[in-house]
Amino acid sequence: MVEQGRVAPELRLCRGCRQFVRLDRADCFFCGGDLDALEADYEERLAAVQEAADALREAIAQRTTVAPGPPG
Amino acid sequence: MNDLPVRYAGVEDSANRVPVSIVWEITLACDLACQHCGSRAGRRRRDELSTAEALDLIAQMAELGTRDVGLIGGEAYLRKDWLEIVAAVRAAGMECGLQSGGRNLNDDRLAKAAAAGLQGVGLSIDGLREVHDEVRGVPGSFDLALAALRGVRAHGMVATVNTQINTRSMPQLRELMDIIIEAGATNWQLAITVAMGNAADHPELLLQPWQLLELMPLLAELSLEGRERGLFLQPANNIGYFGPYETVLRNVIEDEIHWHGCNAGDTIFGIEADGTIKSCPGLPSPYAGGNIRDKSLREIWEHSEPLAFTRRRTVDDLWGYCRTCYYAEVCMAGCTWTSHALFGRPGNNPMCHYRALEMDKQGLRERLVKVKDAGGLPFDHGEFALVVEPAGTQMAAERVPDRILVNG
Repeated sequence: MVEQGRVAPELRLCRGCRQFVRLDRADCFFCGGDLDALEADYEERLAAVQEAADALREAIAQRTTVAPGPPG
Repeated sequence: MNDLPVRYAGVEDSANRVPVSIVWEITLACDLACQHCGSRAGRRRRDELSTAEALDLIAQMAELGTRDVGLIGGEAYLRKDWLEIVAAVRAAGMECGLQSGGRNLNDDRLAKAAAAGLQGVGLSIDGLREVHDEVRGVPGSFDLALAALRGVRAHGMVATVNTQINTRSMPQLRELMDIIIEAGATNWQLAITVAMGNAADHPELLLQPWQLLELMPLLAELSLEGRERGLFLQPANNIGYFGPYETVLRNVIEDEIHWHGCNAGDTIFGIEADGTIKSCPGLPSPYAGGNIRDKSLREIWEHSEPLAFTRRRTVDDLWGYCRTCYYAEVCMAGCTWTSHALFGRPGNNPMCHYRALEMDKQGLRERLVKVKDAGGLPFDHGEFALVVEPAGTQMAAERVPDRILVNG
């Protein structure tokens, strides 16, 4: 049987200070932030940015479709 | 994950020990004379593999599940059958790239390489013209490498630049980035010069650990700017670890990607031109698992003890600062090659951003002082002492201070 390779423990990214932290604590080892709360806030902001980007993309697409040709 | 290059290993690859990526020195012959060459390349090895042996080895790689083969030297194109090797790698269903100094990688060679199926070329460019030519030992080599880079793009292959970061090149990285973007590079692989081979004879080239405090923010800045301009910056395994820029530098697609430790012998290995199999192409002979002239590649890969060190070691095998580090269990002291070249054993790596930051918080810094020369053979190394001193200390040339913490 072939010996298995090493699978390293995973870390978690603190959305407050952008440092990677171990999974053994609920608060960030570096900035002390609540990791779950920071993650939830990040997800919320990410969704808002995604929504804005989608709206912008759609607006650009519509404008491109109806725009008249170049003048002259 | 489907958009990732095939050479990236996933968790399943690590667990199943698939040798995803192989770096193969197909000859030690070289047409440059680099001050930092770890293998002290120049003349070919006396007993390099024959064409038949090389082709058989390719079949064995494919059978083990290898997905990517990087050809290096020396200078790989100086081997007469190198195009046959490229074609055989591709025919066996694996990707094939070349790392080259580019001195004689002319249009004819590039056209033939592209026709043989070569998919990408990494050109070594180590600073602006004057510095590159001096460090690479050949006047004009900068312009030739840049011409080769343009040729790689013209022939439809992926154009990468590899740059060694050392005391000469670090101040020039920003300007160099502009030049390589203009020449068509889409990937930029950066590695810190390791104190091995010729580099051990040039300690003045080597970065000091505390210089990471300047280097890492610069790399993060260049990485973000490069991405905007179509250049993907790829830090080598000896750049890190953790600290505030880990996610900027390490991530490919997601924020959450981080350093997981040296994977030598787990998902990568190196081959020397005489058929010696090593867990990492940069490591010296104690890490050699055997020779394909004596055993099959599978037998070496699956059962060789020297290839097993990364999967068997624990935090107890670390020493010095690394043993007590917050990231010890994940990081395992970063790049084994770097540690071994400095101290003759793995497990303690002062070339670490997090460590330099922690030292700096205490008003300290670490400095490496060479205390023993290398012997002059390929992949050999000298020995360095680690000095802990107040941050901001004036560099005292080569003097070894009274307080030396060799054990970090």
